[in-house]
Amino acid sequence: MAPTRALEGVRIVEMGQLIAVPFAAKMLGDMGAEVIRIESCTRMDGYRVSGFYENDSSGEFWNRAVNFYEQNRGKQSLTLDLAQSVGIETLVDLIAISDVFIENFTPRVISNFGLEYDDLREVKPDIIMVSSTGYGHTGPWSGFGAIGYGTEAACGLAAVTGYMDGPPAIPELPYADYTAGEHTVFAIMAALMHRAVTGQGQLIDVSQTQTLTATVPEPLMDYSFNGRVAGTSGNRDDRYAPQGTYPCKGNDSWISLSVRSDSEWAAFCEVLERPEWASDSRFADGLSRFKNHDLLDGLVSDITCGRAAVDLQTQLQAVGVPAGEVLDGKALLFNDHLNARGFYEVVEHAESTGMPPLPYAGRPWKFGKTTGTVRSAAPTLGEHNNEVLSGLLGLNDPNIAEMTDAGVIGTAPANPRASRQTTNETQLSQGRIVRWEPDFKDQVRRKFDTG
Amino acid sequence: MARALEGIKVLDLTHHIAGPYCTKLLADFGASVTKIERPGSGDPARAMPPFAGDDPRPDKSLPFLYLNTNKRSITLDLKSVTGRRLLRRLADESDLIVENFRPKTLPALGITYETLRETNPSLVMVSISNFGQTGPYRDYEATDIVEYALSGIQYIFGDNDREPLKHGFNQAQFKAGTDAASAALIGMYHRAMTGTGQWIDISIQECVATGLRDTTSSFTYTGAIKWRRPSEAGELPRSPVETRDGYIVPIAFGGVDWDATVDFLDSDELADERFSTPEGRLEHATDLDRILRDAFRQYDKEDLFYRANQRRGLIYGMVLDASELYENPQFQHRGYFAEVDHPVAGKAEYPGAPLGMSRTPWSVETPAPTLGQHNVEVYVEELSMSHKELRQLVASGVV
Repeated sequence: MAPTRALEGVRIVEMGQLIAVPFAAKMLGDMGAEVIRIESCTRMDGYRVSGFYENDSSGEFWNRAVNFYEQNRGKQSLTLDLAQSVGIETLVDLIAISDVFIENFTPRVISNFGLEYDDLREVKPDIIMVSSTGYGHTGPWSGFGAIGYGTEAACGLAAVTGYMDGPPAIPELPYADYTAGEHTVFAIMAALMHRAVTGQGQLIDVSQTQTLTATVPEPLMDYSFNGRVAGTSGNRDDRYAPQGTYPCKGNDSWISLSVRSDSEWAAFCEVLERPEWASDSRFADGLSRFKNHDLLDGLVSDITCGRAAVDLQTQLQAVGVPAGEVLDGKALLFNDHLNARGFYEVVEHAESTGMPPLPYAGRPWKFGKTTGTVRSAAPTLGEHNNEVLSGLLGLNDPNIAEMTDAGVIGTAPANPRASRQTTNETQLSQGRIVRWEPDFKDQVRRKFDTG
Repeated sequence: MARALEGIKVLDLTHHIAGPYCTKLLADFGASVTKIERPGSGDPARAMPPFAGDDPRPDKSLPFLYLNTNKRSITLDLKSVTGRRLLRRLADESDLIVENFRPKTLPALGITYETLRETNPSLVMVSISNFGQTGPYRDYEATDIVEYALSGIQYIFGDNDREPLKHGFNQAQFKAGTDAASAALIGMYHRAMTGTGQWIDISIQECVATGLRDTTSSFTYTGAIKWRRPSEAGELPRSPVETRDGYIVPIAFGGVDWDATVDFLDSDELADERFSTPEGRLEHATDLDRILRDAFRQYDKEDLFYRANQRRGLIYGMVLDASELYENPQFQHRGYFAEVDHPVAGKAEYPGAPLGMSRTPWSVETPAPTLGQHNVEVYVEELSMSHKELRQLVASGVV
């Protein structure tokens, strides 16, 4: 029996940029939804114009960009110039035969386009529309632009994150975009379930900040009930002591671990070959270990820095103590456990890109029956213009030629300009990368057996 | 107004955070969720700090109160034969089961998806675990920080001359709960279309590892391995910077050039010729970093935030702590915080809807349940057990 896909028959029109919206559509696409991505030849997604395969910004660089490929696999690309009325009309025609329309513009822009929910339900009464914005579709901040770094600051998470003696901190990625995207998948599915039962569509208003705030209830509830405002607490947790990230043998090698009980403490001391700590009154129970955490961190580091992180991980896990090596990007890609589970999927790229097949992270779930797969690589710009316009909207060749001549559609940017590239050498001198390995292509090919 | 998931019956075998956040999302959008707790102590999250009034009682754990709104609680000992028989009856009445035991726990009790579907063939079941139901780490233990380490996010978090860092509290668990709720509904949608149920395996490690931008791909595309934040990179820091009264995250975006930042911060020192090119900024990164930080300290964070939002391409974020969030005009305008009255913990404002649905809004109808609060309702009224039978089960410790 051919594998079925859970979301077969669901058509999504996506007008997103960067991560929050494209991520959500990508996940639904992997599970079988048909995703048509609306792109612009005049204002390309920022992720088409930066970060290229082999750092090469020559030629059709917009079809070789790493973050675009990560977020847009399995989708179709239709370019439309929305500054022309025929562009808008074509988009509305497409929405009229789709199930979900998802966008992340400010309400003002969507209103100017005439693409508000009330406009669209005229042509498709049961349409599910998602407006995903930094701070929500309504309210005094609704017109503010936002990207993940900013919403992470505003949601309450940054204020409780950071070294104990330091400022608030955020990781080196737009973390909030993913949390917003994950909740967007949930919301679209909830709306599809409701529509399956009632036949009704609706407007989903995703505030990227609110989705993240929903995942930081501990300090918010503490303030609400107890009036306390939590600060940064490094890697510590008030339930487990010790907990932290300790240096190991090698360059920038670390292990993270937690000790959750007295019995785990005893087992931990055995693995570290310091059985005398287990009977030391300064560390006798969780509370005393918490009080003496600074002292303990120093003692533990002195031992761990002579051990290999992976060995410590194995030894501690063998006695039931949670511990894990801090994996860098390459170690994560090559990780035995993830690869045993088939987490990465090898995706072929269009020949014109000159890129070999490459592995990409899969999905956060494994379904027993409707497994889901990456259908294809991210599309090249305008790759599916003909397919969508003639196949779905029934336009004939002269219509399409006319749209091409008028610049409503296209397959190349109007003003091809890559954002400034930083070479690996520059990034190394900036300290943005820890190292780079010139033979990476061979390593990836061997590991993932891609010929 | 009706909620989106009304009519979906969920049997909730979850505890701690990841599983309960999944079933909270389902319950807050209308699913009927019955939570099974261990007799006596219940969900270990009932012992999780902080507590209302710092009073460590099982109905006053703030994480528990937040995570279990709109759910019913019944107690059941799955280790007893009678308990397992009752579980089967409850499972037969359910559309969806969510559990987050260690992968070996339920099979050891004879409870698996395969056995449950014998009497409920279209059942959808979601299992959440630290590292998934298969693979060499299957039985590994984990806490949030261990998930951070093994999923690749921790290595790129913090300063590159210090130890890797993690987010405060329990982000990996919440992320997995969100993905599990999405997966549950994808499974339920497929069931609604075809009548077919299935088992879904959620690994917390994979939930975090799917949310990393160009981390493995930096290697596959260029051979580079991304690192933590450098202290002086010759650019605007993409991290919180101190202002006169708090922190701001300054981002210049969308092809906006350096001059826009210099102009915005209105600093003569920053306008220095040395900093006019990317090469110059990198060469003089130490001076630049000091001057930038001085420039930001001239302003209040709100001033910078609101003014940046009037400019094209300057997208600043403002660090807000809990007290500021509760007072924030945007959150207030949207009615974000939801008042919930709990019989033991009292009345307070909880974080509210993660998102709005125009026709089927989020709502809290009932506060988190007390332990076994719905035993009579479920066992007597729904499973048609007599009060006497229920008393016997209570006496024998099954309920």
